[in-house]
Parts: sequence; C-alpha cells; structure tokens
Amino acid sequence: MGNTVAVLMRKAPYGSVYTAEGFRSIMGIGVFEMDINVLFVDDGVYALTKGQNPAGLDMKPLGEAFPMLPDFGVTKFYVHDQSLSERGLTPDDLVMDVEIVDDAGAARVLESSGIVLPF
Amino acid sequence: MLYTVNKSPLMFGNLKSVLRLAPGGEPILLYEDGVYADAQGTASENLIQQALNQHPVYALQADLQARGLASVVDGIQVIDYEGFVELVEQHHVVPWL
Repeated sequence: MGNTVAVLMRKAPYGSVYTAEGFRSIMGIGVFEMDINVLFVDDGVYALTKGQNPAGLDMKPLGEAFPMLPDFGVTKFYVHDQSLSERGLTPDDLVMDVEIVDDAGAARVLESSGIVLPF
Repeated sequence: MLYTVNKSPLMFGNLKSVLRLAPGGEPILLYEDGVYADAQGTASENLIQQALNQHPVYALQADLQARGLASVVDGIQVIDYEGFVELVEQHHVVPWL
C-alpha cells in the first residue's frame, strides 16, 4: 500500500491515446523511483502483443516500447489470464515476460497499491 | 448502406448491435479497434461468423498491420485506403460509433 502506484491498462493501442499516455506515465513514475505495479486487463493486453507495426497509421510502435521499461526501474508487470484467453492469446504471444494473474491476483495487485491510475 | 465499426467487440457492443439492425447483404467495414473482431480464436469469433453469414465484411489493412493481426478469419476482405475510399463512394455511410 502506501506510495505504491498501480497503472491499470484496459484499452487497446492505436485506437485511442490511452496506451501511449499510460506508457508515458509509467516511464515517468519509474524515473522518479516510485514503487509501481503495471496491470493489463481486458483490451489492455493487446498493448503487449508481438508483431505490431503502425507505420501505415503514421504512429509509433507501442508494443516494443514496453520491454524497455525495466531500464527505467519498472519491473512489476501483471497480465490478467482470462483477458488473454478470451482473445485467443497466450503468454508466448507477448513481447515480454510478465506475471500472469487470475481475478483474485489482479484484485490483490490493485488492493496493494495506494493509488490506481486508469488508462 | 455501409456500416462502419471502430470499437473492439470484446469491450463494446457496437458490432453486436450493427448485426441486429443492418439488413442482410449490406456491407460492414471494420477499422481502428474494430479490426480485433477479425482475430482468430477470440471469445467473439461467433460474432464475426454471424457477420460473414449475412454481410460482405471488409477490414482496413493498415489497422490490422498496426495491431499485429497477421491471420484473420476466412472470408474477411482486407482492403487498403483506396478500397476504403471506393466503398465510401459507392455507399451511404452509417458510422456505428
């Protein structure tokens, strides 16, 4: 609890600015050496899938950016298992190693954080 | 009429409600997050099958590519921006936002 921040990612990349803005917030929180949990639920899991190439949309690729976050001190990434399976995805489809959590595990990540920033 | 859907079928009911209301044979175009309906093996695959049974279904290439959706459900017609413009020229557009 205390000063831990949870960033809750629930939206798909490219269709809105939420994923990009969430990424910027995560990096900023990491740079300030705050304790941070990043939780991907619902369409948020699409932010981490392999093979993204938004060149045709004239946008920057987001998927490959997340694996760089450990360099900024952000190391705790959680992905909701059912959100993956509903989308026909497995952890092998993701760009980085994450901790897979069930409903209760996701709730614990949120409960253990003093602040939840939703994106 | 060209019905356009830009929301993910797993987060929003847009595609579902289009399928309730769009008369059979009218084309449906999926773009932006709407293209996630094309992905294979999702919990919403029955929706896209229902769409394909009743409508021509198009998906925008650039949006599929951006999201890393390499394999789409059989029967979806993948189009580029030129194809998008042609569809819009040929039909009145019903944006199902």
